[in-house]
Amino acid sequence: MTARRVADTRRRRLIEAMKDAGLDAVVLYGNAWQNDYLRYAADFGILEGEGIAVVTSDGETTLYLDDSFEADRAAVECPGLDTVVTDDIVADAAAAIERLGNRRIAAGPKRHLPYGLARRREENRFDDATPILDRLLMIKAEEELQAVRRAARLADEGYAVFRNAARVGRKDYELIAEIEAFFRANGVDDNFMIIGAGGLEVRGMAPPSGKTLKAGDLVTTELTPCVDGYYVQICRTLVIGEASEAQKKAFAVYHEAMIAGIDAVRPGITAADIAKAENDVFRRHGLGDYVTSEYTRVRGHGLGLFPDTKPHILEDVTTTIEQGMSLIVHPNTYHPEVGYMVLGDSLIVTGEGAEVLTTTPRELFSMAADRRAA
Amino acid sequence: MRHGLMLWREGELSQADVLARQRRLQAAMRENGLDAVLVYTNHVRSAGVTYLTGFTPYWSDALLFVPREGQAIFATALSKRVGNWIRSTNPTVEIAHSPQPGRMAGERLSALSAGNIGVVELDRMPSGLVEEITSKTDARLIDATDIFAAVRALPNAAELALATTADRIAANAFAEIPADRRLVGDVTEVLELNARLAGAEECYVAAAPDLAADQRLARMKGNAPLGGYFAIRLSVAYNGVWIRRTESLARMAADGAVAEAARAADRLAEAIDPSAQPAPQIAGHALSAGMTILDWTVEAPVATRPLQPVASRSRPAMRDVPYGVLTLTIGTAHTPLVFTRSFGLARQTARGGGVA
Repeated sequence: MTARRVADTRRRRLIEAMKDAGLDAVVLYGNAWQNDYLRYAADFGILEGEGIAVVTSDGETTLYLDDSFEADRAAVECPGLDTVVTDDIVADAAAAIERLGNRRIAAGPKRHLPYGLARRREENRFDDATPILDRLLMIKAEEELQAVRRAARLADEGYAVFRNAARVGRKDYELIAEIEAFFRANGVDDNFMIIGAGGLEVRGMAPPSGKTLKAGDLVTTELTPCVDGYYVQICRTLVIGEASEAQKKAFAVYHEAMIAGIDAVRPGITAADIAKAENDVFRRHGLGDYVTSEYTRVRGHGLGLFPDTKPHILEDVTTTIEQGMSLIVHPNTYHPEVGYMVLGDSLIVTGEGAEVLTTTPRELFSMAADRRAA
Repeated sequence: MRHGLMLWREGELSQADVLARQRRLQAAMRENGLDAVLVYTNHVRSAGVTYLTGFTPYWSDALLFVPREGQAIFATALSKRVGNWIRSTNPTVEIAHSPQPGRMAGERLSALSAGNIGVVELDRMPSGLVEEITSKTDARLIDATDIFAAVRALPNAAELALATTADRIAANAFAEIPADRRLVGDVTEVLELNARLAGAEECYVAAAPDLAADQRLARMKGNAPLGGYFAIRLSVAYNGVWIRRTESLARMAADGAVAEAARAADRLAEAIDPSAQPAPQIAGHALSAGMTILDWTVEAPVATRPLQPVASRSRPAMRDVPYGVLTLTIGTAHTPLVFTRSFGLARQTARGGGVA
């Protein structure tokens, strides 16, 4: 019932935003990668194939799916949703849009909208729904933030499972197996997760490649469990065995940077201000080269119905931070003396600052090297 | 996304294997007057590029550009920081990084003076990418889905072997389900753990917790109680190739009727010839006494979807496919039961040839 209430809130906000923008309908595309627009309107977590939702200003929502098994799943998981299963969702959705007549219709996300849909409406182009949806996705209602808090609890519990699974002789993918099994048993539908293991040679995180953990390895991960559609992330680093002095010294920089970034969070500043607060710490420690795109992607990002949503925390992003956003601040990057390190906590932007959600200690965890895989 | 084991395994899928597939596509391009073919990929629509290169993106999207002659180019918005990982898992193509991969492809096409460009699933291509391409070339974009589907419908020994491994991973994971099972999570946790420990690249689990009430499978919360008879579907990717397996089980203990229905599903799947239409094969297959087929669906890799519905009881006509999975709803004296089984994986040995 809680998830249903959240979905009802989202739909109400979408209809209000459509009325404010003078729109008669919106057309929202989604797949398992880019699902946030579709889920916002239809509350379906699509897994295979593609979906298109057509939402009219009176709240009527029709979901077009191209897979009969996904349609079965939608019927069970989203009872009451009007679903059409078809081999050609582009043609069928286009026909439905045509039947709406000469009305003002917006579509999104702009880049991912199927070409066939845009092509069929060439003479009467869609408005761009992207800015409207992006704002709804960024600034969340209280019911949505409650879902984000529930996901945060699972992120902490998931990292405890990860720590316990890490030991000498284990393969990197075996750690992921344990995490995913834990998540499936505990109501986590999806999880964005990458991993790094090793030393100076590790420049970032990726899917597991079968690497065997050995003493001295830094093991990095970002875990991003999804509960009722909402993702929350945690980033931590652990050492197999006792951390070296160099590793401890390096970690202190990341710790200081993350705290600086979180302390900077408050309504009215920009995403760039948070990134600058993190990066200034690295610069003070003579590590300014390592906050560039050569070594790191972003210094944090938004979280919600997508695990890596706007705003991206970068020094050239001028998006204003507002109450009701959920973010992760993570100064993850390469360190020239020890390799790739990560540290990040998720938070909600409040009226005064940040409500930090993840509670796992901000430590460079040390897993005894004499713990061996069974 | 993909969270599981991802690496290049030359012994399972060699560079020669994927280069031969690229050459077959290039031959088809020449026959059809195409100067190049573009294939889009993300982790949902990964199968086209996976077939041609062995590479699946764990996240984000990309465009594979196969010219009529020469090396294919993989244009991606993923940053150069991820370049080493991409190169390690995608060794046969040129890797080109660009924040606007469509624009880069358009520039290359323009430099080739390409006139006719085939696009696999043109109507499904992200319109932003098409805009980028057409901003740099005046070439004509032509849907090449059928051309590609005909190339990839030819059974391929390496692909069948990978699908067989995925199938074995799924079957072995089911064998680990505990006898004491009361909640959906008791089953899904075990399947997920064992499939991934066996090297699955990804897996999806769905459940119908009470078959007497509803045979549709969905993602259920772990604390959902199991009814007297339940079904679980495990979809497994191994090295880019997907398979599904669904088992119906009695909650309390081994049930002879359920076991007999499972064996009937095995026998039917083993009898299916993927080079022929499935409807008459299914209609002509005798199940055990007291059992009837209430519904069926065939899924197979065709274009960019790893498995997509290609035929069903209500729409029986099927296009050529290299292999597939058959989902059956079997009526029994007690309750309808659901099973999914692969078919066509033994073609290499069964036919002693005809497999590329």
